[in-house]
Amino acid sequence: MSSWISKRISKIQFALLSPDEIRKMSQVKVITADTYDDDGYPIERGLMDLHMGVIEPGLKCATCGGKVDECPGHFGHIELAMPVVHVGFIKEIKTFLESTCKVCGRIKLTDDEIKSYSATLNDAAFSDLDPDGLASRSKKVTDQCTQRLVCPHCGAQQIKVILDKPTTFREEGIKITPKEIRERLERIPDSDLAFFGLNREVARPEWMILMVLPVPPLNVRPSITLETGERSEDDLTHKLVDIIRISQRLRESRDNGSPQLIIEDLWDLLQFHVTTYFDNQTAGIPPARHRSGRPLKTLVQRMKGKEGRFRSNLSGKRVNFSARTVISPEPFLSVNEVGVPEKAARELTIPVTINQFNLDVMREWVKRGPEPRDEFGKYMSGVNYIIRPDGRRVKVTISNAEENSKRLEIGWVVERQLSEGDIVLFNRQPSLHRMSMMGHSVRILNGQTFRFNLAVCTPYNADFDGDEMNLHVLQKEEARAEARIIMKVQEQIMSPRFGGPIIGGIHDHITSMFLLTHGNPEFPEEDVIHMMSYLEINEPPEFIMRDGKKYFKGRDIFSALLPGDFNLKFRSKLCAGAKEKCEYEDDPADKDVIIINGKMVHGTIDEEAIGPFSGQIIDKIFRKYGPQEAAKFIDNVTRLGVAFISQRGFSTGIGDYDIPENAISDILQVSNEAVEKVGKNIEIYNAGQFQSSPGRSVEETLEIEIMSITGHARDESGKIASAYLGLTNPSVIMARSGARAKMLNISEVAGMVGQQSVRGERLNRGYTQRTLPHFKKGDIGANARGFVKSSYKDGLNPLEYFMHSIGGREGLVDIAVRTSRSGYMQRRLINAFEDLKVDEDRKVTDTVGSIIQFDYGEDGVDPTRSNKGKTVDLDYILFDIDQEEK
Amino acid sequence: MDSLIIKDVKANIEKIKKQIPCSYAVDYDITGDFKEGYITLDKKNMIYKISIDGIEPYHEDKNLTLKKKTGLKSIIKISEIKEIDPLSVAEFRVGKRKLKEVLTFEKAERTSIKITKKQEYSSKIDKSSMELINKIGADGIKIPLESATRLLELKEKKGIKYYNKVLDRVVSEIKKRQVDPYEAVGIIAAQSIGEPGTQMTMRTFHFAGVREVNVTLGLPRLIEIVDARRTPSTPTMTIFLKPEFEKDEEVTSRVVKEIENTSIIDICDIETDVEDMTLTIKPIKERLKERMVVLPDIVDALGREKGITVLPEESKGRVIIKPQQDSYKRLYATQERLKTLTIKGINGIKRAISRKQNDGRWIIYTQGSNLREVLEIDEVDSSRTFTNDIVEIGQVLGIEAARNAILNEAKRTLEEQGLEVDLRHLMLVADMMSFEGSIRAVGRQGISGKKNSVLARAAFEITTKHLLRAGLMGESDSLAGVAENIIVGQPITLGTGAIHLVYKRENTEKQVQ
Ligand SMILES: [Mg+2]
Ligand SMILES: [Zn+2]
Ligand SMILES: [Zn+2]
Repeated sequence: MSSWISKRISKIQFALLSPDEIRKMSQVKVITADTYDDDGYPIERGLMDLHMGVIEPGLKCATCGGKVDECPGHFGHIELAMPVVHVGFIKEIKTFLESTCKVCGRIKLTDDEIKSYSATLNDAAFSDLDPDGLASRSKKVTDQCTQRLVCPHCGAQQIKVILDKPTTFREEGIKITPKEIRERLERIPDSDLAFFGLNREVARPEWMILMVLPVPPLNVRPSITLETGERSEDDLTHKLVDIIRISQRLRESRDNGSPQLIIEDLWDLLQFHVTTYFDNQTAGIPPARHRSGRPLKTLVQRMKGKEGRFRSNLSGKRVNFSARTVISPEPFLSVNEVGVPEKAARELTIPVTINQFNLDVMREWVKRGPEPRDEFGKYMSGVNYIIRPDGRRVKVTISNAEENSKRLEIGWVVERQLSEGDIVLFNRQPSLHRMSMMGHSVRILNGQTFRFNLAVCTPYNADFDGDEMNLHVLQKEEARAEARIIMKVQEQIMSPRFGGPIIGGIHDHITSMFLLTHGNPEFPEEDVIHMMSYLEINEPPEFIMRDGKKYFKGRDIFSALLPGDFNLKFRSKLCAGAKEKCEYEDDPADKDVIIINGKMVHGTIDEEAIGPFSGQIIDKIFRKYGPQEAAKFIDNVTRLGVAFISQRGFSTGIGDYDIPENAISDILQVSNEAVEKVGKNIEIYNAGQFQSSPGRSVEETLEIEIMSITGHARDESGKIASAYLGLTNPSVIMARSGARAKMLNISEVAGMVGQQSVRGERLNRGYTQRTLPHFKKGDIGANARGFVKSSYKDGLNPLEYFMHSIGGREGLVDIAVRTSRSGYMQRRLINAFEDLKVDEDRKVTDTVGSIIQFDYGEDGVDPTRSNKGKTVDLDYILFDIDQEEK
Repeated sequence: MDSLIIKDVKANIEKIKKQIPCSYAVDYDITGDFKEGYITLDKKNMIYKISIDGIEPYHEDKNLTLKKKTGLKSIIKISEIKEIDPLSVAEFRVGKRKLKEVLTFEKAERTSIKITKKQEYSSKIDKSSMELINKIGADGIKIPLESATRLLELKEKKGIKYYNKVLDRVVSEIKKRQVDPYEAVGIIAAQSIGEPGTQMTMRTFHFAGVREVNVTLGLPRLIEIVDARRTPSTPTMTIFLKPEFEKDEEVTSRVVKEIENTSIIDICDIETDVEDMTLTIKPIKERLKERMVVLPDIVDALGREKGITVLPEESKGRVIIKPQQDSYKRLYATQERLKTLTIKGINGIKRAISRKQNDGRWIIYTQGSNLREVLEIDEVDSSRTFTNDIVEIGQVLGIEAARNAILNEAKRTLEEQGLEVDLRHLMLVADMMSFEGSIRAVGRQGISGKKNSVLARAAFEITTKHLLRAGLMGESDSLAGVAENIIVGQPITLGTGAIHLVYKRENTEKQVQ
C-alpha cells in the first residue's frame, strides 16, 4: 500500500568532496588519455572506460550491467601528479592563508577574541539557515585577522600573502606552491573552521586543493558520431585528455629528476588545464579553445545563464505528448473546446491501464488499428502502442491489430489516441498570466490548425496573423481531474488581476449586439428563426403579432440568452458620459441597460455589457449562476453575434469617412489658423517679446504653447468631422460600441492627423538646426516640426509622410524596449513571490513559515471572486433583492 | 533648560572618555550654567551625552584635558559621558529659532516631540457599525465599514426583516469569496503586476497635474518601485498645509519660499574685481523681496564659508568678499563656489510650486525631496504630506509608513496608466518587501538572493557562486519552495500539491484477502 504514495526527496545536502571520497565513489582510475582503440572499442582505464557507463547501444555497463537507458552513469577519477588549486575557491583559500598563522596554523585571534566571536560563529550557526549573515560575520573576523602581523598563539612573524590572479599566491614575491598551501591548510584545526564560514561537518580547507579529480560519467559527456563516421568528443572529454597528458608528463619529469624550471612550467600548465576545466571564462587567463577556434564549454559554462543547465533544462523541461501548430478561429466551437487536427490527434496518446471494466472496450479499440474511421469516414481514435507489464512496447499496426487485441489482459497499458471530449492544456507564449494555459476539451477537426472560439483570444492575447500555440495531453487521471476542475476555460472567466471577466465578445460580436439592440429594431420571423438555429436555448424569444405575422424585437431576441430570473442594471458604454438623457438614445431610460427577470427592457448592448474586462452581464451571470452558465452565455452571445451580423450584413470602407465640402473647408481653415497662430507666436519669440511661464525657459514655454495650439487644432477638426459622422456610419458604430478603434482614429482619417512627436516633444532632430534640408535653418514653424495638416484619407504629402514615419518609429522602438524590460521585471517578481501561499486560516506564509500577512489582503477575499476589488457589491444585492420582492 | 552643545573631533572625545571625570579646556568663552550637554562630530547629529558639573574660566592646571595647545578660554567640568542613539540637530531650539548646525558650540534646548493628538482608528467609526463588524467578524469574515454603515441605514429605513435578508445575503456572498487554502497568492500577485507591464508606456517623462514638475511614470517607475531604488530618478513631494492654513494663499506662498532652495546666484549679481582681488555680491532688490531674503541672511550664509573674508557694506547694500589667498585661480574658484551657496530653503528642494485645488485649498508640489526637513515646518500638515521617495519615508517615518508608500506609489503608477490591478496584489508586494523590518528589493540583492533554497538561488542568477558556497557551508536544501521542486522533478508544494490525500482501501483490502 505504501507504494501508492509517491516518494518525495526530503532534502539535499551540499558538501565538499574529500580526495578519499572521490576515490571511493570512483569506479575506475583513469590513467590513459586515449579514448577508443582502432576497432572503435573503449580502451580500458581510458576516458571512455565502460565502467563509467554506456552511451552506445549494444554495449553493457561494466559496473552495473545496465544498457544505454538503464545505466545512470558512474564516476571515475584521475590522480593528479601534483596538487592544484580549485579556481572556484580562490577567494576562500586566500582568506585562509591570510588569517591563519603560517607556522602553527591557528586563526590569528587571541583566546579572548575566539571566546567572544564563537558566540555567533560556531558549528550551530550552520543550521540557522542564514548563509549570508554567516558569511558577513565571518568576513568581519577574518578581515581583523588579516591585519595581525604576529601570531597570537606562537608569536611567529607573518608575511603578507598576495594573490596573483587567477591562481598564483605569493609571499614577498615568492610563489607558494599548491603543495605548500595544502600543507598549511592541513594544519588549521577543525575548531577554527567556523570562523571562516566553513562547516567542519562537511568540509576541510585542504580539500580546496585538488589531488584527485573526479571524472564525470559518460552520460554527462557523450561522444557523437558524425555522418562521416568520425567520432567527435565532448568538450569535457577534450579537457580531461589535456589534464591526463600533462599530469603524466609532470609525473615523469618529477620522477626522473628534470630541472625545477621544467617541472614548474608543467605544473603551471596542469593548473591552467584544471582551471579551465572548471571555468573557461576565468578572468586573467585565455580561454581554452577547440581545434576550430571555438572556446570550450566547460563545467561552469554548462550550468550558468539562460542556456545553462539550470534555467534551460532544470527549471524548464522539454515534454512529450505535446503539439504545436498555427491557430485559426472557429465561432461554432464552445469557449471550452479546442479544435485539434486529425493528424495531431493520431500522434497524441493517453495511456489507459486495462482493468476488468474496460477490457472489452479496449480490445475493441485495439482491434480498430492505428487509423480507424467510422462508416461515414469520420475520425475514430485508435491505439498506437500496447505496453506489456514487463515494460515492452508493441506498436499496433493494421496487420497485428486483431492479434494484439486478443492478447490484451488486465494490467496491460494501451496508448490510445486522442478522442473527442478529452481534456488537454492549451497554451500561447509568452505565458504572462495563468490564463495563458487553460484546459479545453478536444474536438477533432479537419484541416491543419488548432481552432477555438474568438472569445478566448483575449486571455491568450492571440490573433490569427500566423500565431502558433501549444497543446499538451495530460497523462494521469489526477492531472486530468485537476485540469477539468481548475483549469478549464469556464473556470478562468474571471481574472485574478482585477476581479472581472477576461473572456467575452470581441469585435463583430459587439458590433452585432449593438446593432441588434440599439433602438430596439424589429425583425420578421424568418430572419429570427435563422438566427435561432445558431443557438442552444430553451425558450424562443417573445414576439408581437402584426397583420398575422410574427415580429421579434432586438432586445427580446437578446433576452432569450439570459437566465429567467436574471436582474441587472448598468450604464452602457455608449451613454457613459450622459447625465439626464443620452444624445444617442431616443428614450432617456435607454442610457442604462436594464434587465429584469431575464428580460432586457432598456438600453443598448455594447462593450460594457459583453466585452472582456468590462463585461457586466458575463460578470453577474458568472457570480449568480456559476461558470457553466457563464460559458453557455458567452457561447450563445458569440454565436448570435455571428448569426445576426452575417445575416444583416456589415461593412466598412473609405466611404465611411466622406464628409461634406463645407466641413473639409472648415477643417482646412482650422489647420491654417493653427499654422498661422504658431507663426505669430514664433514672431513674438523672435522679437524677444515672448513671456516665459514661471519655472520654464522662454523656449520651453513657446514649445508648450505651440503643442497646445496644434493639439487644439486636431481636436477641433475631429469635432467638425464627427459632427457629420453619425451612428449610421459603420466606423462610428464600431468606435462607439467599443468593438474596434476610438473616435480619435476616425478624426485622424476624416479630419487631420495632427502634430507628430518624439518623446512628447515636436520633432527637432535631423540636420543642423532643422529636421530636413527642405526647411531653412532655424525654422521652428509648424510644418518644419512635424505638424501634419492632411488626413489619412486625403493622404499625406511626402514631407508629412516622413514626419509621420518618425513618430511611428518611436512607437516601434518603445515596444521592443518595453517587452524585454517588463519581461525581466516579471521574472524577478515571480522568482521573489513564487513560494508564498495562503494556509488553512488564510495567513500568507513563505517556505520557512514567516508570516507575510495575517489575513490575506486584509479581508481574506480572493481577488478573482471580488467585484473589481470590492469585498461585496451591496448595490447589486439590493437591486437583485428589490426585483425579487416585486 | 538649555544644554550645552559642542562640536569636536573624535581624538578629543577619546581623550575625555579615558579621563572621566575630566576638566576639558576649550578655546571659547562660555557663559551660563549647564547640567548637561551633547557632543557632535559632524555638526548635525549628537552622538554623546555629557553631564556637566560646572563651567569655569580658563586657568592653568595639571589635570586639564586640552582641546588645543593655545588660546584656551573656558573649562568644562565633565563628570560623565555616554554614547547615545544619534539625536538630530533639528530637535534643538535656541529660543524660538531652530538650530540648523553646530559650528563651535551652542546653547540650546532640546524640544522633545510630544504627541498632541492621538487618533485611534476604531474611535473614528461609529459604535453601531463597529458592533456589526465585530458581530459578523466572529464568524471569521470581515465586511467593509462602508457596507456596515449602509446596512445599518437600511435597518432604519426598511425594517428589520428586509435588513436581515440583505445581511444574510451579504454574509453568504463574502463567505463564498474567501480565498482557497494553499492558493499560490504570490505567483498570482506577481503575474497580475507583471502582465500589465507589457501594456505600459516607456516614456520616462510626463507632466503630473503641475507642468513644472517632471515625474517618472509608467513601466520605468514601476521597476523603480520594486527595485527599491535608494533615490527615485525624479524625487518629488506633495505638501499639504494644516487645515487652518490650507486656504490661505499668503501662508502658502510663504511656505513655498521657505522650502525652495535659494542660492546666491538666484538673487544676486556677482562682480569680480581683478585688480583688488575681490568679489562684489550685489543683491537684486526685487529678487530679495520675491524670495523673502534680507542682506544679513546673505552675510550669515557667507560667514559660514571657509577661506574667505567677508566685508559687509550694509549702507551700499552689498558685500565684498576677499579670498584669503591672493591668486586668480582662487578668486575664480571662490566665485564659482559662492554662486551655488545656499542662503535659505531646504536642501534638495530644487523647486516648489503651489497649486489651487477646485475647492480652494492649496497644495505645494516640489521637485526634489527632503521629507525630514519639510515636516519640521510648522505650517505643514505632517499627517498628509508625502514624498515619492520610498526609502526616505522608511528612514523618517519607519517601516510601516514605507510599506504604505510602496502600496500607494505602485497603485498611483498603475492607475495613472489606466490599468486595473487589485489592491491585494500590491499589498502583498509591499508586505513582502517590508516584513523583515527593512525594505528589500525584488531581485538578486533583495528577496531572491535571500531565499532559503540553494537550488532556487542557483537557478535565478549567479549560479556557481551559490553552489560553491553551499558546499563550504554544508547548506542543505529542504525542497520547500517551488523552483527547487521543479528542478528535482517532483510536485510543488502549493495548491493541490500542498495536500496529500491517500485513499485508504480498507474494504477492498479485506475482499482481496
Ligand atoms: Mg499575432
Ligand atoms: Zn552502469
Ligand atoms: Zn602561530
